[in-house]
Amino acid sequence: MKPEEFLKSSITEDFTLNINNDYRYLKTAYYVSIHAETLGSTVIPRGEDIIAAYRTPIMLLKASKAGIPAISYIVASSVKQIMSEIDFPVLLFAVNPFSYDGYKTAKNRSGLYRALKSLEMNYKFTVCAQPLRGEMISTNCIFGKCDQDNQVKRIAEQVYELFKIPICKIHVQRVKDVDYLCGLQPLKKQELSPRDLEIISDEVSRMSSQGERLVG
Amino acid sequence: MARIACFVEKYNFSDPREDRALRNFKAAAHSLGHQFDFMFREHIPQIPKYDAVFIRATTDPLYTAYVVSKTASELGLNVVDDPRSIQICGNKVHQYELFKKHGIPHIPTAFVTNQDLHHRKLIQIFRELGKPVVIKAPYTSFSRYVEKAACETSFREVARRFLKKSDILAVQQFMPTAFDWRVGVLNGEILYVCKYMIPKGRWKHGAKRRGKPTFVWGRTVALKKQNAPLTLREIALRTCSIIGNGLYGVDIKEVSSGYVVVEVNDNPSIYAGYEDLRNQDLYQKVIHHLVD
Repeated sequence: MKPEEFLKSSITEDFTLNINNDYRYLKTAYYVSIHAETLGSTVIPRGEDIIAAYRTPIMLLKASKAGIPAISYIVASSVKQIMSEIDFPVLLFAVNPFSYDGYKTAKNRSGLYRALKSLEMNYKFTVCAQPLRGEMISTNCIFGKCDQDNQVKRIAEQVYELFKIPICKIHVQRVKDVDYLCGLQPLKKQELSPRDLEIISDEVSRMSSQGERLVG
Repeated sequence: MARIACFVEKYNFSDPREDRALRNFKAAAHSLGHQFDFMFREHIPQIPKYDAVFIRATTDPLYTAYVVSKTASELGLNVVDDPRSIQICGNKVHQYELFKKHGIPHIPTAFVTNQDLHHRKLIQIFRELGKPVVIKAPYTSFSRYVEKAACETSFREVARRFLKKSDILAVQQFMPTAFDWRVGVLNGEILYVCKYMIPKGRWKHGAKRRGKPTFVWGRTVALKKQNAPLTLREIALRTCSIIGNGLYGVDIKEVSSGYVVVEVNDNPSIYAGYEDLRNQDLYQKVIHHLVD
């Protein structure tokens, strides 16, 4: 069923799988989950999890509480605050309503000023600052599956178990052979590989055979 | 003694009435023997040091205030406004879906997406809701992002502007009244009742001055809560019960058919000498709720 069709319907189902590449708050996929919840259906993903997953500090807090190795972070709004708590280089994720496209890195004070001015949208919002101590790995995460080594695969599975975001991209930092979750973001349609589409198709077939309602 | 953090932004102190109200909260906490600190963005990492968090900065699931609320909630602290209340009250589409489900009397509402901006659909909307209609972005607050449209051209112009941020908008019947009731509710109890008067020649409590960035606000007339109509109080409490047990400001219109809910706001405005005028105990009640 198409999202627009589902949003106008009032059919109550026990379970709804909401498939979309972009689950951000205020986007169609978010409203699909909210509509399903209001109708009393169990839905993947839930509206609350969508908001939590895309707000980096909340996502990392929930992940570490669930035992997923997550990088340390601070929510900050000034260069001074970040420099007093984290040594360079620094990794920065936006905590504003508009940016969702990955992260920025800053190797020195002037780089940090530039990154903050952009991510805080002229100091209106905050950022999530993290230490950058190793190699960054970004991977598509489709129903908790990814084409990476076992350590990243395990994190992808755990992130899916916790937030149940079927289609997303995760950012992981490898520090001395240990991987830490750093962030999560939506995927653009063109970023989906043939292998990703295969996984989606398999998962949809599996759930359809169980008689579940699928929206996407 | 409990330690309460009050999350604020600099703008919370720019209006002397709100500044005074915040100091009243602090004084109420001290009089009850509790610590009350104003927490700004740079103090967010200190959340675990507190027992409760009271949010006064503007809330929205996309703002820093939500990060504060959710962080405090995940750490097991008492928090007003709690994340679920922000999630529901911060999105009017979500809220009206719940009103429909629970049979809350509200202004007749339709939802529109980008694909609905064609002639046939707009004619249908105008036929069902009359002319003009009120187009409301789901993230509206302080009367912003709520505009009237009386023809297809202005409907499309307003809707396209609001649809840049949200994929769905609410469209409502236009119901002009001399005032909106504002009922403050905390934990399933009435906290205060006011009338938010509509300024002369306007249709909202807060209206933008033509050609200027400033707003003109209507008067606030406070009532003793026991003097407010019983049905009004009952509707306000029933509406809040579907959202949670936090602090809410319920906007209700009184029309010929009875009372209709306009919306429920989390983080309602509390200005000294206005909302608290006839209900001075509201400060202590909020502090009690935070440390309970």
